[in-house]
Parts: sequence; structure tokens; C-alpha cells
Amino acid sequence: MGSDRSARYPDGGDTGTDRAPRDGGGRADTGVGRRGFLRAGVLAAAGLAFGRPLLGESAADVVRMVGARGPDDEMTDAVREVLKAKFGDRRIQTGHVQLDIPTDAPDGRAVPTILDIDLPITPNSYVATYHLLVDHNPDIYLAAYHLTAGSGEGPIETRIKMRRTGYVRAIAEMNTGELWSAAVKVFVGLNGCG
Amino acid sequence: MPSMHHDSSRDAPTLTFTMPAGAPSSVGEAKILLPLSVARDAVIDVRALLVHPMDTGFFRDAEGNPIPAYFVNAVTVTYGGEQVARFEWTSGISRDPFVRFPLRASREAQVQVVWKDNKGGVYQQAVDVKFA
Repeated sequence: MGSDRSARYPDGGDTGTDRAPRDGGGRADTGVGRRGFLRAGVLAAAGLAFGRPLLGESAADVVRMVGARGPDDEMTDAVREVLKAKFGDRRIQTGHVQLDIPTDAPDGRAVPTILDIDLPITPNSYVATYHLLVDHNPDIYLAAYHLTAGSGEGPIETRIKMRRTGYVRAIAEMNTGELWSAAVKVFVGLNGCG
Repeated sequence: MPSMHHDSSRDAPTLTFTMPAGAPSSVGEAKILLPLSVARDAVIDVRALLVHPMDTGFFRDAEGNPIPAYFVNAVTVTYGGEQVARFEWTSGISRDPFVRFPLRASREAQVQVVWKDNKGGVYQQAVDVKFA
């Protein structure tokens, strides 16, 4: 999911703060005048507003990034390790999976979750497994739903526990081996995991 | 910037689960619900519910003793003796685990769901698919 993005953004953040001049605030020792100081501030603000995503990406990439997942889905190293152990170097693409989950869950003990896919389902092309991951739970890899040609269509519904606010990830593994993913950030009130 | 995240789990109060009054409480009670009428070769939704505490092992009881992990970790679904679905669960599934899954009703046969937990408990429930 994040392998191609993390290669482009090795520090994992798009804040643009590293572009701001380091001495922009050190007015006294650098001898920058009032006008120069203001100009540096404006440039720093511009760097924040139009950070790297808009400069280095095509328009389609920007739409993709602000659409389904948001500009930064905050994948942690622990989640990357789980994905690596489960899928190795297989490419995980974004899209086609629907992850219906409330973005605001006051009670983390039971968060209703629906997994679905919008690809055409045939006896030769169906969902073999839905994988469900929660970034900040003690068990990141929460559940797997293995289906067959007789059951691999339509939605799966379940209720999950969440420890705290973070991303829930659904990965649909087709019987052909394709991997499709979706991620939703859920704001959790009550800790449901202990 | 992971270091700036506030770990809210740290100052969360210790919680104990209490069953709401009137809820079924015997572990292993199970229900399967099919649609009222089923047409041949239709894809139907099957709903299955099991009464089970699904303890994570991270909570403590009112006396402060840890509650050991106790959860369903394997579910198999058979249709006319043939396995059509298999679920791998952890304690991250909510208590009294509910699942809804699709099934192509190709023939009149029995749908059976078997739940197994980490302490060796096996629970099962079955229902017949009949075409209306």
C-alpha cells in the first residue's frame, strides 16, 4: 500500500516545514531586517500551503491522494511489517474495496464494519479473502474472511474493537492474486481493547 | 510525526465489562438467520450470532485480577456438507460476535456454522435453506 509512496517521501510527512529557512525566526543574531523577516515568513507559509504533493505530482495523483485516502494515511512501521509478513513484496493497489465504517466511533468496543467490493464477481473472479487491519490495536491483523466461489460476492459485516483513533484497513485478495485496499480513519472515544 | 501523537490509551481508566440486564448470558448460545424467502440461485445474506465474551486479556475485573484472553479464533461455514467460508478471528472482534456473509443458494441444503475458541470450546448451529 505505501511502498511506492514511502519511496518518494522517505520521511513520511508532507508538512513542508523543512523548506522553511532555519534562521527565519532568529532575527537578532542574523541581522535580517523587519521587511526580510516578514518575507521569510510569507515564503514559509507558502511552503506549508503548497507543499511537495502539488509540486511533484500529476493532477491525477493529487485527486487520488485527496480523494479516497487523504494525503497521508499515517501508516506505521508496525503495520508495514505486518503487511510485509502477510503479502511479501506483492503490490497492494488502492480502490475497488468499500470499507463502510463510521468515521466517529464513541464506543471502541463495537464498531460496525462492512466490507464490499465493486468488481464484477464471476465463478472465475471472486474475493478469496478479506483482510482487516487496525493500526493501533494490540493485534494489528484483526481478522481474515476466507470465501469461495459460492460465497465470494456481496458484503461481509462484522463488529470490531478499536483501542484508539487511527486507520482501519481492508484488503481484498482476489482468487487471481490481485490485492485491493481501502483505509478509513476512525475517531474513537472509548478504548475497546484494554 | 509519530512522536507528536498523544497516546490516549495510557490515561484511559480501567474498564470492566458488565452485561446489560436481560441479555442472554450463557456462552455458546448461537443463532443463524436466513431471509424469509429464498429463491433458487439467489445470493442471500446469512447472519450468524454467538454469545461469547471475547475477552482480550488486557482488562481486569472489579477486584483487579486480570481477565484471561478467551475468544473465538476460527469459524467455518458449510453448505450441504461443503465448506463455503472460513473466518480467522482474534480478540479484536467485539463480544457476542456477529457476522453477515453472502451465500449463493444453489440447492436446498443445510447451512452449518461452527465456532471454535482458544480454550477448546466448540459451538455450532445449523439451519435449512428451503426455496419458497
